[in-house]
Amino acid sequence: MNCKWIGAALIIAGCGGFGFSIAAGCRREERLLRQLIQSLQYMQWELQYRLTPLPELCRQTGKTASGVVRDIFLGLARELDWQASPDVSSCMSAALKRNQELPRNIRRIFQQLGRCLGRFDLQGQLLGLEAVQSACQGELAALNKNRDVRLRSYQTLGLCAGVALAILFA
Amino acid sequence: MMCAWKELLSILPPRLRREVDSLGKESAQELRLRINAPPELVLGGKEIWLRENVTEEDLNFIINTASRYSPWAAATMAQGYLTAPGGHRIGLCGEAICRNGCFEGIRQARSLCIRIARDFQGIGKDAAALKGSILILGAPGWGKTTLLRDLVRQLAQKETVSVVDERGELFPEGVARGKRMDVLTGCPKPAGIDMTLRTMGPSCIALDEITAEGDCQALVQAANCGVRLVATAHAASERDFRCRSVYRVLVENRIFDGLVLLHKDKSYHVERMTL
Repeated sequence: MNCKWIGAALIIAGCGGFGFSIAAGCRREERLLRQLIQSLQYMQWELQYRLTPLPELCRQTGKTASGVVRDIFLGLARELDWQASPDVSSCMSAALKRNQELPRNIRRIFQQLGRCLGRFDLQGQLLGLEAVQSACQGELAALNKNRDVRLRSYQTLGLCAGVALAILFA
Repeated sequence: MMCAWKELLSILPPRLRREVDSLGKESAQELRLRINAPPELVLGGKEIWLRENVTEEDLNFIINTASRYSPWAAATMAQGYLTAPGGHRIGLCGEAICRNGCFEGIRQARSLCIRIARDFQGIGKDAAALKGSILILGAPGWGKTTLLRDLVRQLAQKETVSVVDERGELFPEGVARGKRMDVLTGCPKPAGIDMTLRTMGPSCIALDEITAEGDCQALVQAANCGVRLVATAHAASERDFRCRSVYRVLVENRIFDGLVLLHKDKSYHVERMTL
């Protein structure tokens, strides 16, 4: 009897945990997007007013961010310093390879950023940064749509699934 | 003779480095790269064609590494060239970006011309013995910048020299400077002359390549302040110099006292300015 109760508790905890982890993933994605938008704004100001060369710019941007965003910008700065790749896009790909845990949509945004930073003219570069920023805003808006309801649903669904399984196997 | 050879090799695509290094270390003057054509290396006036064709990726690599992936940050990009580490000048040609009829930069480079900077220490000793303002004349590729570099270094052992180095080619990092030398880089010549004149209190101002009337006006103004000038200009002889309308202000105001005339074999002789 005791084993059954322990089993049921484990099923509920497991399913509940799964629901909570999906909700946490969404929150993390949102946090990363907000950080990235801040970093992009910083880059825009630096480029517009100081024309900071890219390796320095990435290093500075990395220092203002935290977590994965920080790691990627610092990694990109290192790649640029090595001067082993023909363009910024390849440097960005190399930096992203070292950060596998990044969500797919945010990885796509970073790749877009790599392509826009590789442009030869400042105006094109600034427009590119703006485009990346609006891509981030778009992703953020999609995440924020019914955010609270959705996150609560993930958690509740996880718990309910656990309870259902526990009843079925009891 | 010194040349920032390592710096030059570091900006080239890895697959070209070995061939350029083995052929050109001693006497390379220029490296020309055109998409879908083999690279052309100019050695002591002779051309050698390397084996592999140049790709668009090769040109992007050179532009990006020479500018630290920031060609838009180089002030000279709007004039169609970049100065690479070591003072090597990279001229760009290809699809241009123009706004309101003005050239703003290159969207996609199709060919590059890398002019290799060299430093011959001691070649300017004879020219440094001249009194007053000195003008170095020579055709492109005859060694005006190389001579000016050493001449200025010699002068800066004895007097305070301000160098207005718009392109950052004269004294890049790693090139020996004179004791009393101040170098202003990346600033247009007229503004640079005015600025150094007011702020650095030089007894001599040096600049490479007088090309516009604005440069001439600024030189006249500096000369009127009692500053000695050392400059270079495109002309094969004194007569050729006098014929060019852009230099008229300099001739009329008798700014220069001594002339250094370069020859095709890169030797030179010194003359007093006539008239």
